[in-house]
Amino acid sequence: MARDERVAICDGGIFRPDLWHGENAEEGVAIAYQELLKNVPNLAADDIDALCMSYFSDHLNGQLCMGWIVQDYLGLHNKPGYRVESGGSTSIDAIVNAYYMIKSGMFDVVLIPGWEWMCEVDVATTNEMIASAADTDWDFPVGGYYNAYYAALEVRHMQLFGETCEDLGRIAVKNHNNSTRWPYSQWVSQHGTAPITLDDYWKNRMVCWPYRVLNCAVMSEGACVLLMATESKARRFTDTPMWITGVGLGTDSMRPGDRTVDFAYEGMKNEAKIYPDFVEPIKTPYPDMANFGSLHIAAKRAYPQAGITNPLKELDLIELFAPYDGVELCLWEDLMLCPRGEGRNLLREGVVEYGGECPSNLSGGLTASGHPVGATSLYYTLFLYWQLAGKIKAKCGSDGLQVQDARKALITGHGGTGCQGAVVTFESD
Amino acid sequence: MTEIGKEEIKLKVRKIKRTKREVKYKHYPVVDDRSTSAHEYWEPIVNTGLWSIKGHQIVKGPWGGGTVEEALKRPPKEFMVIDRAAFALYSHSYGLVSPFFRGLLEGKLKGTKCPKCGTVYCPPRAHCWNPKCKVANCEWLDLPLTGVIHTFTVQCLAAAPFEHQLPFSMGWVKIDGADTTLAMMLHILPKELFIGQKVKIEFLPEEQRKGDLTDCYAVAVPGQKVPEWACLQKYPKELESLERSMKQTIEFIKKRYGVDNSSEVRGW
Repeated sequence: MARDERVAICDGGIFRPDLWHGENAEEGVAIAYQELLKNVPNLAADDIDALCMSYFSDHLNGQLCMGWIVQDYLGLHNKPGYRVESGGSTSIDAIVNAYYMIKSGMFDVVLIPGWEWMCEVDVATTNEMIASAADTDWDFPVGGYYNAYYAALEVRHMQLFGETCEDLGRIAVKNHNNSTRWPYSQWVSQHGTAPITLDDYWKNRMVCWPYRVLNCAVMSEGACVLLMATESKARRFTDTPMWITGVGLGTDSMRPGDRTVDFAYEGMKNEAKIYPDFVEPIKTPYPDMANFGSLHIAAKRAYPQAGITNPLKELDLIELFAPYDGVELCLWEDLMLCPRGEGRNLLREGVVEYGGECPSNLSGGLTASGHPVGATSLYYTLFLYWQLAGKIKAKCGSDGLQVQDARKALITGHGGTGCQGAVVTFESD
Repeated sequence: MTEIGKEEIKLKVRKIKRTKREVKYKHYPVVDDRSTSAHEYWEPIVNTGLWSIKGHQIVKGPWGGGTVEEALKRPPKEFMVIDRAAFALYSHSYGLVSPFFRGLLEGKLKGTKCPKCGTVYCPPRAHCWNPKCKVANCEWLDLPLTGVIHTFTVQCLAAAPFEHQLPFSMGWVKIDGADTTLAMMLHILPKELFIGQKVKIEFLPEEQRKGDLTDCYAVAVPGQKVPEWACLQKYPKELESLERSMKQTIEFIKKRYGVDNSSEVRGW
């Protein structure tokens, strides 16, 4: 039985995200799988006990049960396998699910293939189909894009806690410039490796105030596979396993507008006193339409498992699921890197930059390096794996943004407007 | 690109045109029928359009794994990209909160109230979500047509069904007396828009109402001053750049839809 053993990420493979690929989804997954097999020469198909397929949308491709196609295409169709889906949370939930599969003692080695092909329908339709993950009776009919919902969340946070549009610009500049050092980045494919400046940001087109194009996640096609295994099996596959030390899940209301009486979060944080007095008080001041309760509670569940008490000091780097730049700032607060309302200080003091105490999204993240939903969290987990294994130079051809002696890292993922989310913490030997 | 004439599409649809809508509620009377001829239009498209092939393109592009640089170094391959169409028309029940949407048709805002904890919901919930109330059945009440802006955004991009209305503001409004907030269109200019602003809820003319949230919208209660802490107006540079973007959007919509959404024409 494997229940008492630790669970490791043992490498993976990437089929880089891009705006469009000639290859179709199953071929993209196969190319990522080829890379995994190259990275883990000891791995044979017989070693894989089960698969957990990660993809978000059926209607983007008009194909149901695409998981079957992929399992078949990889020649792994005699094995146990099923799909995990939860909007933007899909790919992190696939990691969590594979962790549970292994922890249950039923399977020792689980392969997670993840992908998304988001550009078969035109961009407007893709956005509309994604927005049908919002409440189609109550939220979708008013404007109909996540850009707007997230923008409104950020406006509330901005009004309560005082970050500025310039702060949002700084995050955009940080992430895009980080992404130019990551050779799998979608931004690099579309725009090359020249850095951007705040000046470029101010000239950038407005999408939904306060978000400009540079603040918003890109549409991607891409794939990634991760190999996960018990401690005893992991040692056969890699010398540098990345251990999963904590896993936390959380959920929140479907409609963000209901978070003014978010009973499930009542008394969770005593936030009333840091509410500015010009804003009318509401019944449950946390998370309000400002922060992400699902991820706060997920972190509270994951940290004790990992023995983390001071995340800012203990975590060497973090990869946050931020489809819009304000989310990254809010998450620094919800993950308790700083008190609520002080996210802007971490940014302004350079704490979250490369070389800072806790660099955030060195990969470039969803707005620059790519967001093929079902592959997204796998892609950024693999980035963390290569960081903790000290393999960034081997992967980038230069030191890139390797964090020296990185040992502890964290990733988040969420769907909807934070309706569901997960936090996973990692540690190397 | 081969031109497919509009006539050809029309003919294809006409060939199997159905005259009656499919009956789904055989045992239940339809007490009010305001459905449209959309069923006559859509159902044949579903029948002819599902998986129908509309053409293809050959695209020469990069291929294979590895980094961006590695992929671009290989000689490109030619990929065949096929156009396939699929459509659907959903007949969706608003369920136990149907009275809210029928209220919109009559120009009323309705909410629900939990008899146990007293929480007032707008959007209404048929059942209270306070865990202490054990999914209690809520009661209906009429709400005033006034409220306060809880948060907002100004959209220069929207989903296709709303695109012709761009640029516009949407936000969540806490209706007076309610505890939750309702998403709606805000017919308020950005330079006047702020969190905490008092609004009146107005309705489209009766004949234009459809029984959906866009039947109503909020306008500012006159005579309010933008407070100096308001996040949009605090930085004049930001407001200017937003207004510049909105101008570009107005031009784009004029070109694409022939609609003039400038504030002088719209009156807000």
